[in-house]
Amino acid sequence: MTVTRNRTESAPPESSPLADAADDRTLVDACLGGRREAFDVIVERHQRQVYQLCYRFAGNHEDASDLAQDAFIRAYRGLHSFKGQAAFSTWLYRIAVNVCLNRVGARAQKWTTLDAADQPDLREERADARLLRGERAAAVRAAVARLPKKQRAALILRIYHELPHDQIAEIVGTSVGAVKANFFHALANLKKLLNTT
Amino acid sequence: MKHLSRIEFVDLVESSAALPVDRLRHLESCEQCRGQAETLRAMRSMASADDTPEPSPLFWIHFSARVAEQLRGEPAPARAPRWSAVPLATWAAAAMAIVLLVGMALVRTTIHVPSPHGRTAASAAADLGSAEPVDDLDSDEAWAVVRAAAADLGWEDAHDAGISAHPGDVENVALQLDSAERRELARLLDEDLKRNGA
Repeated sequence: MTVTRNRTESAPPESSPLADAADDRTLVDACLGGRREAFDVIVERHQRQVYQLCYRFAGNHEDASDLAQDAFIRAYRGLHSFKGQAAFSTWLYRIAVNVCLNRVGARAQKWTTLDAADQPDLREERADARLLRGERAAAVRAAVARLPKKQRAALILRIYHELPHDQIAEIVGTSVGAVKANFFHALANLKKLLNTT
Repeated sequence: MKHLSRIEFVDLVESSAALPVDRLRHLESCEQCRGQAETLRAMRSMASADDTPEPSPLFWIHFSARVAEQLRGEPAPARAPRWSAVPLATWAAAAMAIVLLVGMALVRTTIHVPSPHGRTAASAAADLGSAEPVDDLDSDEAWAVVRAAAADLGWEDAHDAGISAHPGDVENVALQLDSAERRELARLLDEDLKRNGA
């Protein structure tokens, strides 16, 4: 298993003819028109982004998997409310962020890696440097987990998903200024938390 | 000069080109702002360095299968009710209210309407003089009937149907009606609502 920073939409193998040319809006319409298999294509297309978002909130694979599944179920149930004014991914992110914020909340997170083989291929990295890198990553994850909800959401969406501030504002339902302010506080608090841990 | 704001700090950390020249000049001369910017940059860089682990390819197959399995028990998602699905009676009542209001306003401004009961111009003028101006539409019973008729009509639905007005138009028209006209409007709407069973 490799560590990748997937910042483009995942493109898993999609066998359905729907997947060939259909954009998200078409898939939603097809699903609302009774073609349930269209939602399978939606899941395949967005599962990686949704899972990675949930992983950042949950801190471990099992919870991230459950949260991502929950986000897709909610998206399916509320599909009729997707009006197409925003991109489908923005709408889906909004659902996933809400699921994560509601479920993860103040719950203590257990940050785990998937398994030893999941670590990045660092054979050329010196052992002590690798150790330091791992410790620092764990400290950052723990600090991010202790940030207030809105700051955490702004930081995760900006840094790990590289979304622009205006799209983050759409997702969390606030202004661009508020997103930037939350991002500022998230970085400033990260510093404080890392100094105290 | 003022220190950088939180938003300016974020713009600076993400791209120094986003800041105006005078703010960049302040940054050069302000140790405190420079220190803060450095801290933010360092934190951003440290957080960015932590990549998200990628589950095995098998996980994705299992994941989509799990979602599909769970959705099998769900009812199919249905389209949201569109404006065309709004009960006809509601549309009829709303359209009637709008037509009546606009029509009465037009009549008042363009045509001299003869008295419905053969009253003389003098008596009509006397009535007009005694008509109480209504400033508070919320307490006006006749207006309440109009509001009730349009209560179920969503703004977006009305707009989709091509019925659109500027904010305050209906209130302005209603304010121009005298009490007899408002009573007549209320009676007509009442009849229409009863007829349509709304």
